[in-house]
Amino acid sequence: MRIRANRKISSYAVIAAGMITLALPLTLSSTNTEIYVTVGLYTIVVAGLSLLMGFAGQVSLGQAAFYGIGSYTAAIMALHGWSPLAALIAAPITTAFLAFLIGIPLLRLKGHALAFGTLAVQLIFLAVIPETASLTGGSIGLSAIPSLRIGPLAISSGRDYAYLVWIVVLVTLIIARNIVHSRPGRGLRAMAASVSGASATGVEVERYKLKDFTLSAAFAGIAGGIYAFFIGYVSPDAFPVVLSIEFVIMVVVGGMGTVTGALVGAALITVISQVLTTLGTSPSLPPQLPTVLSLGVYAVILVAILRLLPSGLVGAFSSLWKKAQAASPVSQFKADENVEAVSSVDKEEPNEFTLVDEV
Amino acid sequence: MTAFVEYLLTGVSRGLVFSLLAMGFVLIYRVTRVVNFAQGAFAIFGGFITYSLLKAGIPHGVSELLAILAAGLIGLIFGIIAIGGDIPLLASLVITIGLSIFSEAIGMLIWGTTPITYSGLAGHDFVIFGAFIQRQYLIVVIASLVVFVAVLYGFGRTYFGKAMSACASNPYAARLSGINVKRMGLIAFTLGGALGGLAGVLITPLSPLTYNADISLGITGFAAAIVGGLTSPGLAVLGGLVFGIAEQFVAGYWSPSNETAVALALLIVLLLWQAKRVPAGGLE
Repeated sequence: MRIRANRKISSYAVIAAGMITLALPLTLSSTNTEIYVTVGLYTIVVAGLSLLMGFAGQVSLGQAAFYGIGSYTAAIMALHGWSPLAALIAAPITTAFLAFLIGIPLLRLKGHALAFGTLAVQLIFLAVIPETASLTGGSIGLSAIPSLRIGPLAISSGRDYAYLVWIVVLVTLIIARNIVHSRPGRGLRAMAASVSGASATGVEVERYKLKDFTLSAAFAGIAGGIYAFFIGYVSPDAFPVVLSIEFVIMVVVGGMGTVTGALVGAALITVISQVLTTLGTSPSLPPQLPTVLSLGVYAVILVAILRLLPSGLVGAFSSLWKKAQAASPVSQFKADENVEAVSSVDKEEPNEFTLVDEV
Repeated sequence: MTAFVEYLLTGVSRGLVFSLLAMGFVLIYRVTRVVNFAQGAFAIFGGFITYSLLKAGIPHGVSELLAILAAGLIGLIFGIIAIGGDIPLLASLVITIGLSIFSEAIGMLIWGTTPITYSGLAGHDFVIFGAFIQRQYLIVVIASLVVFVAVLYGFGRTYFGKAMSACASNPYAARLSGINVKRMGLIAFTLGGALGGLAGVLITPLSPLTYNADISLGITGFAAAIVGGLTSPGLAVLGGLVFGIAEQFVAGYWSPSNETAVALALLIVLLLWQAKRVPAGGLE
């Protein structure tokens, strides 16, 4: 019964979170709406990266490049007369296709080699943009991207984008959750624990890894596409290496491979960065101070989480939650329920499965 | 011919700097099995600290030496943060990524965002085959050759070097035979920091560096180290030279803007070649 009770609590939590999500854009100022949209966009990217890091056990330092490819795809198509909706749909498809092609050779790498390989992809992306100025606008970038229009529905204000982004967040989180609980998801989880063990039991390791990589790129691509329409301007400066690192930090902070972790990590880091920018921006202070502060704080958070809470905030919280429940008299009274718990492993809460503590 | 010689010599001296960075990677990897993402940051610290010391009126030679020592100390601190305690390898890698952006923050805070450079050894350029060569190149060649010989001898011939390598190939057996594995790892980080610092000291007079040049320096050094599978110091030196010369030729005969893309594409090819050569390598 405990699991059912848990599920009830969590479905209330989901409903409450949904209501807050819907109500927030109505109350936020325009600056805060922008932050809200950014949190949503980053959540989408981080959800994908989290699957890659948590399941395939691999670090990608090229996620900002995929985000950028999505943005450029949407921007270029919209500026060349395609309907904005078609451009937005093309963004994740193009990104996923490119990631698929890159992934075939690149995913033969693992660990540090893959981290550096994906970093190289990101740097190549940044080096190619200025060289293809006729298409991408070079280092100046592309501006005057038309606003998004879905059928008769014009999406123009910050509030419209907030709703659009959070609908996409919901869809990506559901996809991520379903993957976690599907047959491939179990395969991927086995893979995170031991690649050789998983492949010995018949998990098609290489294919799953490639799918995982492609999907994470598609997530980044759709987020990038929305970003292009939202900001109305794309340039290579929007996709620096540091952004890729930020995405990794968000995953680590939230907890690798947890669906809610993506949301927590993206929200926390984005809000911290905004607070630091507000604190550090003042005419009397040096102009680079906000960047210094955020880089410094990111680094401290990353190192502290890895050293102190290797399973991330959500992981740490859910294990605390479990401990608290195990200690309560009710659960001791129903000791036989462990049998049920074992038989319904697949139906656990999204954030309750345990992953290897390694990266 | 003149242009060729100029590209070649510039390539060799820049390549030697990459070799120094690559050796830092190899040293740390051989002992700890950690790939230190923050290797480029040591070079930035080396160069920038020299700049500040020279500006404070401390003479050449002393400034450079102090900067290299400081980089070694930073290496030690990074080592303590990255490998102190019991921590999985890939977590150590991600920690060094954090240390690298922390270094960028410090660099930006202290030295700002404008490129930093200082004049190397005074004295006029000399001429080989009609090509004007800065005297600094000569210093780069001499300094790096001395260091390479020292490192190769240290690793290959001394008891201490062999003990260091033992830590990586079998930490358990190394511990059993009385080697303090953690301490060896920290020594490797310190030496790696000093090597990176030397690289920065040598390259800053040749090409001005910004606070965020650590990523590009680091990835080129890593690429050079990959030539030797991250474990062979000799091949790492060779790798550095290849990358340095290739970079100059691409920039000179083709287009400077293609230089990065070519180097990175070469890196990916090398990585894949290594992955094939060492199936299911150490990390899973």
